[in-house]
Amino acid sequence: MNSGPLLFLGLFATMACSWTGFVLAPQLQLGGLTQTNTVVVGDALSQTYPLAQPGEAHAGSEVYRANACAACHTEMVRPLDLGSDIQRNWGVRRSLAEDYLLAIPVMLGSQRIGPDLANFGRRTDTNGIYLRLYDPRLITQGSVMPPYRFLFETHKIGFFHSTDALVLPDQDAPPPGFEIVPTPQARALAAYLLSLRQDGYLFEAPPPPLPRTNAVPTNAVATNAVPAAAKPAAK
Amino acid sequence: MNVIASPAPTISPASPQAQKVGAEASCPVGMLTLFAGALLWLLAASLLGLRTSLNFHAPTFLAGHGYLSYGRVHAAQNAALLYGFGVPSALGVGLWLLCRLGRTTLAGPAIVFIGAIFWNTAVALGVGAVLCGGGTGFDGFELPAWCAPLLFVAYLMIGLCGLLTFHQREAGPLYPSQWFVVGSFFWFPWIFSTAALLLLCVPARGVLQATTAWWYVRNFDTVFLGFAGLASAFYFIPKILGRPLRSHYQAALAFWTLALFGSWGGMPDGAPLPSWIISLGVVGTVLTAVPILTVATNFYQTVRADLNALDADPTLRFTYVGLMFWIIAGAQQIVGALPRVSVVTDFTWFGAAQEELFHYGFFALTVFGALYYIVPRLLGLDQGAWCPKLLKWHFRLTFLGVLFSYISLLVAGIGQGILLANSGNSFVDVMRRTMFPVRFNLTGDLLVVLGTILFLLNFAGVLVAAYRRCCAERKGCA
Repeated sequence: MNSGPLLFLGLFATMACSWTGFVLAPQLQLGGLTQTNTVVVGDALSQTYPLAQPGEAHAGSEVYRANACAACHTEMVRPLDLGSDIQRNWGVRRSLAEDYLLAIPVMLGSQRIGPDLANFGRRTDTNGIYLRLYDPRLITQGSVMPPYRFLFETHKIGFFHSTDALVLPDQDAPPPGFEIVPTPQARALAAYLLSLRQDGYLFEAPPPPLPRTNAVPTNAVATNAVPAAAKPAAK
Repeated sequence: MNVIASPAPTISPASPQAQKVGAEASCPVGMLTLFAGALLWLLAASLLGLRTSLNFHAPTFLAGHGYLSYGRVHAAQNAALLYGFGVPSALGVGLWLLCRLGRTTLAGPAIVFIGAIFWNTAVALGVGAVLCGGGTGFDGFELPAWCAPLLFVAYLMIGLCGLLTFHQREAGPLYPSQWFVVGSFFWFPWIFSTAALLLLCVPARGVLQATTAWWYVRNFDTVFLGFAGLASAFYFIPKILGRPLRSHYQAALAFWTLALFGSWGGMPDGAPLPSWIISLGVVGTVLTAVPILTVATNFYQTVRADLNALDADPTLRFTYVGLMFWIIAGAQQIVGALPRVSVVTDFTWFGAAQEELFHYGFFALTVFGALYYIVPRLLGLDQGAWCPKLLKWHFRLTFLGVLFSYISLLVAGIGQGILLANSGNSFVDVMRRTMFPVRFNLTGDLLVVLGTILFLLNFAGVLVAAYRRCCAERKGCA
């Protein structure tokens, strides 16, 4: 421990250990992931997963990044046996590496001051997002989310109302003759939030097993053979 | 293992030869710029922290302006604390220790000065950009992509001077603080360049960005800041008490195990990754118990006979309290990594509490302790240059503030985790109930801000005293 070069070599070796384990090895395992096909559920067809984000949604992810939404919101659902994420209806299955394949940057977040958003697009609509951004307490009493009014503009109403003008209760309504409309940033952010849905069943996270039943499957083909499900139980 | 058997009893920092040579003879401007910049950034970070804490009292407060909205200010606070305060103070204290322990003068003081100016300018531009919406979206690595090369060059300027200083040391065995300083000087550019490459220049595919970011944050905190703080503790506690460090072997064990295991982990359980990565991280985190226990026993055996003397000296008091917070923060990190616990505490205030304790409680307090010793000596003054009243209140306010914030966030984190584990409790309801302890955090932040202001006043007072003395000496000569 008294020689500078030896100290350097030792440090380099420990660093290399950590780097190999946590940077290189995950890269070797996951770096080659490509889009895949979802597991077929029921009559549905297999789909390519994940689909590329539409352009506006990608612009919205930039708004999400710029305002550091990940300071309060995570975007990952833990498995059924870890925490209550799935019971809270934050997702139908755990999040997987495939879900983030096309996202840049990947903002998984580290703290939940607000709910998880991995599947936010499954449980809301554009108008709900606008209202939440304009004044979160209109939707959720007692929320500590700050309002993002700088993403909205107050306009004088022209010949027609804007199609996406906010419908607000009386105490929040703009003065008569004016309306509150989302800026392009808010529109992009809403498009991004609506694009958040991790609902393709994949090989690692198959759909939950169907309830056991003796009923003949509805899509049974007309045949003389005894359907498998209708066979008397062996035991 | 007793003192006689330790490998290098002769170079214990208590030896008188270490006095009055080395750092004192070097040009102090570079190091003082690092320290002054770091303290101003600490104040900035604490003020930004005040604004984020206010959000939980009045969410609509200052929300009308994008650049003062919660998320951006939170990111800017993190950046100001880690890159404005953390890195320069680690570098400054490290440079001073390398001079002092190597009994040499600082190599390239002008380059250190230019590097410090460069670094602070880059951080200022970066924090401004984060407030304007240019953050990267990665927690702990917020400064924008164009900022990374500036920071890297500035770091290399200062770090290379550090290595040259280390190289020109007087021949002889190394003291543990020197290993820790050299370790931290090497660690930062390695992890920083990896993160900058894989997150910003050529973004890694999908979730690999998240693993890299988590790995970087863990390395930055546990290894880089940990090494820097421990280097200072290993020097000042034996030095001021006048007792040699109990065991250099134990210090070596702590050093290598912290480098090896402290750099593993940081991925939350259930993250969308192959589970071996998460398990390996848990193993590494739990094994950091080895360095923590080793450091704790080593210091306890060193100071055991003089427990009362610990409060007599400001440097000692700040350093040993910081070291205790390091032990608590480390223990909390280990407990929080155990699968049974992490399922409850992940993604709650529990992690925020641990970071608060590690950054403010351990690192900042240790740096304060070091600065109380270093700054007057750099300026040719003695310890009496500090105003004792300001010093006393700085300690009290900072200590209480850190404790207050830590306990309130810890209670909030555990409460949030336990309540959320039951899916019958609605999320809004849980948040409403955990806001009560979280709101106490504001008081803690306020105390820390006041303490930092007192320290800055005291620091300015010492600079003025040195300036006056310099003027008086010139008059005397004339």
